[in-house]
Amino acid sequence: MESLRIYLKLIRISMQSRMQYRADFVIGIISVLVLNAVNLGLIGILVSRFNSLHGWTVWDMVFLYSLFVLGHSIYSLFFWHFNQMDDYIIRGTFDQFLVRPVSPFIQFIGREIQYIGFGDVIVGLASFSMAYTHLELHWGVGMWLFFAVVVLSGTVVEMAIRWIVACTAFWTGRSVALTFVMNRFNLLVQQYPIDVFGTWFRVVVTLIPIAFMNYYPSLILLGKTEHGWSWLGLVSPVVALLTLFIAAIVWRLALRRYASSGS
Amino acid sequence: MNIFWSFTRQAFHNTAIYRFEYWLQLVSAFLMMYSVYWIWNILYTQRPGAFGVELGQMVTYGVIAMALESIFNPGQGPQMYISSQIKSGSIDTDLIKPLDFHLHMLAKNFGEISFRFGTIVLPAALIGFLFLDLQPPATALNGLSFAVSLTLGYLVLFSLNFLLGMVSVLTIDIRSIAWTYNSLVRFFAGQMVPLWLFPGWLGGLANVLPFKCIYSIPLSIYIGKLTGAAVWEGLLFQAVWVVVLMAVCRLVWAGVHSKLVVQGG
Repeated sequence: MESLRIYLKLIRISMQSRMQYRADFVIGIISVLVLNAVNLGLIGILVSRFNSLHGWTVWDMVFLYSLFVLGHSIYSLFFWHFNQMDDYIIRGTFDQFLVRPVSPFIQFIGREIQYIGFGDVIVGLASFSMAYTHLELHWGVGMWLFFAVVVLSGTVVEMAIRWIVACTAFWTGRSVALTFVMNRFNLLVQQYPIDVFGTWFRVVVTLIPIAFMNYYPSLILLGKTEHGWSWLGLVSPVVALLTLFIAAIVWRLALRRYASSGS
Repeated sequence: MNIFWSFTRQAFHNTAIYRFEYWLQLVSAFLMMYSVYWIWNILYTQRPGAFGVELGQMVTYGVIAMALESIFNPGQGPQMYISSQIKSGSIDTDLIKPLDFHLHMLAKNFGEISFRFGTIVLPAALIGFLFLDLQPPATALNGLSFAVSLTLGYLVLFSLNFLLGMVSVLTIDIRSIAWTYNSLVRFFAGQMVPLWLFPGWLGGLANVLPFKCIYSIPLSIYIGKLTGAAVWEGLLFQAVWVVVLMAVCRLVWAGVHSKLVVQGG
């Protein structure tokens, strides 16, 4: 509880410093909207010209996209700062998080609210509601609950993966390139149903569990149960917690390593 | 020519330091090539010979487009360097060099890009030939025109990037603007979705904007979508944009330069 209070306080401070630059905020949000409009526009043109992609219509794919963005938006608001981790390590400024009597994790993520994440929230909600209407879905309470759990699991999955990737910087000094490769995997999973890409791709994004953010749950939410893999959608929350657990262990190892290399 | 080589050498040193990063870049290039390969294969089983292009041609277009991304990614352009030099104020060190700034940026960027072409694009293309059904150019003439067209496409992209760098004089932080710009390039250059798939007015718009010089024209020439007179038209379109944009770059830089000098005085 005490850490939550401190976290909220840190967040308030970072928000206030951000809001000093209103224009930056607005331009940032607009650029997120343009970026996603371009992504969706390209998918829309491509798939509508061929009617569907591997049995996925344009609106199926918008749904897939929106589910990813919704989970991603919460990550991007609260946990984006992981991407800056290697910067602290290269400059040796990471020490500041270790000398104060608050959990380094709380201090670290309290550093920044990534305001661009608001753009993701808008994109996610807009594309989701459009897809929901066009696909003429009518979910009961159970489905909506499952949907909510899936979105949160998506957040946890991405957050945990990014956390682990950021931690690699404690060993290698830089995690930029690895982050870059992860971005590529993310973008592919976000935009296309992974059954398009053959077996080994499926294995990779199932083990690095990005596919649990949108693909597997979508099979259930869109009623594509003939895919045979759809049961994996149900275990999304379990996978999310497991990944988070692994990330926490890696974080511990990383902190221990940093402390010992300082001497 | 000498300064060009010195920049290539420097790019080599930078890459040699971060060897792990180099391999990851190759991996991510392959990942993108692999994914477009599958997308086109699946779309073409649904509709063979779609829009007058064979599967082999379409895969070749898509795979090379992804291989080229490591040099044509707008993030590789001179605008980030210009922006950071302006932000930190160290642009004066560039100005006291006995070099024309615009040509200096071109030599520097071209040096880095050539190095990446040799170390990432060529190996990626080789992998494409071995594993992803990449085809050679449609004809020898198309291959030759492709090389010319690719160079012209590069010059168009460089100029657009340079102009974006000039914006940083006005607003200091161009990161968000750069995002929007990158998105537009990605959309209108025809890298992922070729322009002949664009519907009606959108296709018309894409066909007059300079962005199609970057991916669409060179690759359409390579796969033989453009042949005969259409090749010459494509090259002419590119050449005109190169001349226009280069002139605009010089004019804008002249304006910006004089303003910088006044501030420095």
